[in-house]
Amino acid sequence: MRPHVRYLSAFLGARLLGYLLFGAVAWELGKLASLLPGPRLMLMGAVDVSLACVLLWYAYSARQICGHSCGDSKLVEIGAKKNSGAVGAAALGLLTGLSLCPPFVAAGIRASQLGSVVAALLFFACFFVGTSIWFVPLAGMGCIVRNQAVITVARMAMVLIAVYYLLMGAGLLLGRKANGY
Amino acid sequence: MKLRAKLGYTAAGLTVLAALLTPFLLMGMFAKGIVALRLHVDEMYSGGPKVRIFEHGAYSIAVHRAVYPHMLQTEKPFVQLDWSPVNALPAHVSDVVDIDGDGQPDIRVSFDVPKDPKAQLRVDVEPIDQVNQVSAKYQAMRNAGKEKYSRLIVRVDNSILVRVPLKKP
Amino acid sequence: MFFHPGANTDLASRLAGAITAIFMIAMFFTMMRTGTTYRWRRWFFVSVGLLFPIGFIHNVMVMRGSMGIPIEEMIAGRTPFCFMPIPLLILPAALTRTVVFPGSIVPGGGMSGHGIAEMVGLWLAITLVVGKGWCSYACFFGGIEEGMAAIPKRPKIRKLDPRWRYGPWAVLLAMVLLSLALFEPAYCNWLCPFKAVSEYVAARNTVGLIQNGIFIVLFGALVIVLPLLTKKRTQCSWFCPFGAFQSIFNKISIFEVKIDQTRCKPCVLCQNACPNLSLSKESVAKGEALMSCMKCGACVDVCPRQAVVWHIKGTEVAWKPERARLLFLYGAWAMAVMFGGSIIAQGISTILHYFA
Repeated sequence: MRPHVRYLSAFLGARLLGYLLFGAVAWELGKLASLLPGPRLMLMGAVDVSLACVLLWYAYSARQICGHSCGDSKLVEIGAKKNSGAVGAAALGLLTGLSLCPPFVAAGIRASQLGSVVAALLFFACFFVGTSIWFVPLAGMGCIVRNQAVITVARMAMVLIAVYYLLMGAGLLLGRKANGY
Repeated sequence: MKLRAKLGYTAAGLTVLAALLTPFLLMGMFAKGIVALRLHVDEMYSGGPKVRIFEHGAYSIAVHRAVYPHMLQTEKPFVQLDWSPVNALPAHVSDVVDIDGDGQPDIRVSFDVPKDPKAQLRVDVEPIDQVNQVSAKYQAMRNAGKEKYSRLIVRVDNSILVRVPLKKP
Repeated sequence: MFFHPGANTDLASRLAGAITAIFMIAMFFTMMRTGTTYRWRRWFFVSVGLLFPIGFIHNVMVMRGSMGIPIEEMIAGRTPFCFMPIPLLILPAALTRTVVFPGSIVPGGGMSGHGIAEMVGLWLAITLVVGKGWCSYACFFGGIEEGMAAIPKRPKIRKLDPRWRYGPWAVLLAMVLLSLALFEPAYCNWLCPFKAVSEYVAARNTVGLIQNGIFIVLFGALVIVLPLLTKKRTQCSWFCPFGAFQSIFNKISIFEVKIDQTRCKPCVLCQNACPNLSLSKESVAKGEALMSCMKCGACVDVCPRQAVVWHIKGTEVAWKPERARLLFLYGAWAMAVMFGGSIIAQGISTILHYFA
């Protein structure tokens, strides 16, 4: 039990660090953009289009189900002899904390619009708490992510949402109103 | 017959009963249940509850509570003002409104009231200069129509509604 | 007219009511007499699909002169409520007690005078009785594509990728997430093909025009062209998020379709007949339909060995299947008369008033 707690703590701690780093960078970018009201909408539009591209790439790359275990990855083995693999877990945590998954980018956009860097950091700390809760039950749910139906539905849904963000982003880049009313 | 089969037939029979009772009982019962949940339509559509009313002779101006967007809604925060009844309004309205009820005027709202109820409405909103400081709370509007939920003037039944966007803090 | 006290009682309306009553009785009588379900249910369902737009569009044209909903009507809470956004409203309502639809909650509100609460109450009652049979007995849009699918004798496209069956779930997931994030009925604003035959938000800018364009393209493709080419209800099978939502209720519905393995010689006639792709080789081998089964009866009627049967959960498969069919039909047809019947009557009444 103790080694598992150590791995999980290292993983989550480094993941939190990655989130906070991203939150700070997102806020700085947002502050820079707010000084230039003209390009601000362009930046938001560009991020929306980028998010759409990330979603489409995820949908395309998930066409093959990963059927083998990832336990033999070299990444997992970092520091395994000296400190029972905690460094490896931390490295994975930092990388997953910085990985630009779609909800992460959407949260970054939101944080960039907040009033201060403290607010942005707090926002991402709460985002971390909200997303970390899902680690607990997901530990026993490997069978679901290998289910063909779940993966197909997820891929189709990602394409739909990507199309939405593409339209919104294109609208902002072209200077059109983002609202149909 | 096994117990499971008996239960199955009982449930099947109950669905027939439910079907017959739907127009007379079930539909109303479920509807009352939904109403009892005390849900409300999103204030972005409804404009929020009224918080104060100012009488202006034959007509009145109702001020609604400020509405703020939820989640990733693209609308801006706004406050809705209602002029009613329309048939008591003069041909041109230019009123100073104290929105937050602090005794100080906040904005001046000006619009024409056409005789044709389907005619397009246009509104000008000017934040009022208070002791050489422009009101920091409300956005100015120049010849605005019905652009978006948070920035419009429309006629709804016997009222003219104006939604004034709030400036960001 | 059946359930609208105070509705029109002029000659045209009475005649429409009489025609509808005779039609519904005739269809039910024929179902009982012939022992088949699908063809007669389809007559009813296509009638609803064709007559609903006539009555509805006439009403909106009379009330506001346009199929486009102006923003004034939305602010006034008079947007007619359709059952399609129900799954999209659940999460925002659960989290914030907010209904993200520009309608009126209380009975007596809305354009039709029913309000969101009554429509949701009606949906709940019908769903408790028929489960996903809603898609065969209550949906006032599905009849259009069922009619289109019935026109050709043979499909031009036979090979259909079975993965498209997951489309409705993907649309449901995407629309639920977008509705929660944007606090608006995302499906109604962006993807509903039936806006083309009911009403839509009046476009004010480029985004609005794009939205309306999407509705027309989706209607043309999913409701007209693809059903003609495949003889399947393609909008229902591949796209409708409400259908995916209703599939969940098939799990609690007491009625289902089963396959008697002692009689079945896999001839795939039932799979080909199913308009909703709810029978696959694997599910037939298991002796059951998929959870997307709309209980239309096509597979039961087409099976030459009476291997596909109506079934009540808890009973033995193929033991007195006609009893199961009757119990299902009594409830389903009662609902059809109440809901679809009033739509048919209103549509006929509109036509008769036009010619009167």
